[in-house]
Amino acid sequence: MSSTETLPSAFNALEPFVDMWAAATCSARDERRGVSTAEERCAFFDAAAPLLEPALAYLDAKPLAELDTSDKRLLNLMLSLGHVQMAVEVHRGVEPQHAAARAAMTITRSVTDLV
Amino acid sequence: MNAETVIAYRPPTDRTAWLGKDPIPAKAYHDPAYFELERQAIFMRTWLQIGHICELPDPGSFIRRDLEFADASILIVRGKDGAIRAFHNVCTHRGTQLTGESEGRASGFICPYHMWNFGLDGQLRSAPDFENFFTAKEDCALRQVAVDTCGGLLFVNLDKNPKQSLHAFLGEYLVDQLEQTPCARATQFSEYTYELDANWKLDYDNFQESYHLKFIHSRSGAASFTAENPFGYPEDYGFYGPHRTQTFWPGYDPDAATPLQAFVMGKASQFAIEKGLMPHPTNRQYYALFPNFFLFGSPTQHFSHTVYPLSARRSRGVIRLYWVGEPQSASEVMAREYAFVVARDIHAEDVNVIRAGQRGLNSGALEHIHFQAMEGLCRHLYVQSNEMVEQYKREQAARELEA
Repeated sequence: MSSTETLPSAFNALEPFVDMWAAATCSARDERRGVSTAEERCAFFDAAAPLLEPALAYLDAKPLAELDTSDKRLLNLMLSLGHVQMAVEVHRGVEPQHAAARAAMTITRSVTDLV
Repeated sequence: MNAETVIAYRPPTDRTAWLGKDPIPAKAYHDPAYFELERQAIFMRTWLQIGHICELPDPGSFIRRDLEFADASILIVRGKDGAIRAFHNVCTHRGTQLTGESEGRASGFICPYHMWNFGLDGQLRSAPDFENFFTAKEDCALRQVAVDTCGGLLFVNLDKNPKQSLHAFLGEYLVDQLEQTPCARATQFSEYTYELDANWKLDYDNFQESYHLKFIHSRSGAASFTAENPFGYPEDYGFYGPHRTQTFWPGYDPDAATPLQAFVMGKASQFAIEKGLMPHPTNRQYYALFPNFFLFGSPTQHFSHTVYPLSARRSRGVIRLYWVGEPQSASEVMAREYAFVVARDIHAEDVNVIRAGQRGLNSGALEHIHFQAMEGLCRHLYVQSNEMVEQYKREQAARELEA
């Protein structure tokens, strides 16, 4: 892996999305969805959705406890994809209004924050 | 829609007929005087769901829960003997709250003010210069609160002498059902909370009826609306004392899910099947435990919702998705987070209509509100709550006569 690559090499097409979307906690992923633009969400969704199945197949080959930093980054991207999917495929044009209502729901515990 | 998913549907309107047809007094949803009666008649003396045993895994594990309607802070503690006890978070010296921690592990509780030291059993173990006090240590134990469990769920009752045990309150059928749910063996949960300008019943009622689904969740709930059951109404209702159940309709539109949704939900189903959680007799069941808690058996994981009253016109909700075991793979992590995102997203769609309902009622423009046959669970909550308010008023009147 070169110094500019932060993901497992098979998924380097997603490198441009790491800074924005590879957030480490469910709350942070929700926050990224909230501050992103519709264009940013669509670009990420279009790039990442086709890679969800191969990414999980790749990650599932290792026990969860043995995922390294780049693996975790890839998983965090896929977890963000789940958030973004709701915005892009379900709420679509009303996502901004939905984001305001969603802000009322404070995430207080998550079982999916990788440590 | 595929032909095989079309199942004949008949709305269970006959099951709610016994509740009557009268309009419901609107003031029960906004009037501070009525809320004060509910607070005394119901919340100060009824078993209330407050947590889960997985929060108290070891001796010394404790959680703190603040109940604003009672101005109370409650410590729920697992003792060295393994028993679960609940205490007011109040030092018996001069009333100082012992801890501000919301959860943790402790060998006891030491008051920060004058270092009074209490054991996990609530007994006063030591206090500096105690010889100069005019009381005995045995009389200075933490004030105990009634606590019990059912189906993994923790309940407290602020009545100093609860009129009935938790199990008598729930009844044999619900105790048996709750003990069977995956929640009973949950080891962890995800949680989100909210505060809303809405009466506790107005808020809770939103989650008792399916009438609104088609309008408020038209996209997120699209799979629930079929030609046979266009509103996505439940299959059945049940009433057990002050509590109630509904059984959700199994018909759904498989074409409503996008490929990504279908893929992740397929993963979630696979993990639930592997754990023996799906199919499960409680998968489509909704258990509403009076006054303010429900557990819904959505197939891949059960989730709960507790609505705490804050005032006549404000409430706090706690929503939990319960999980059996830690996630073992990346796919299982993905399935759990996606389920959480979907639940919270759908719930967020309700926020604005609940607020708008409260604003409308606060105006006093309406003397009554109306519940249709398929809003029978909302009617049942009002009828049961009001019966307890009336009973409380009778008790107060009798007390005044005696005095």
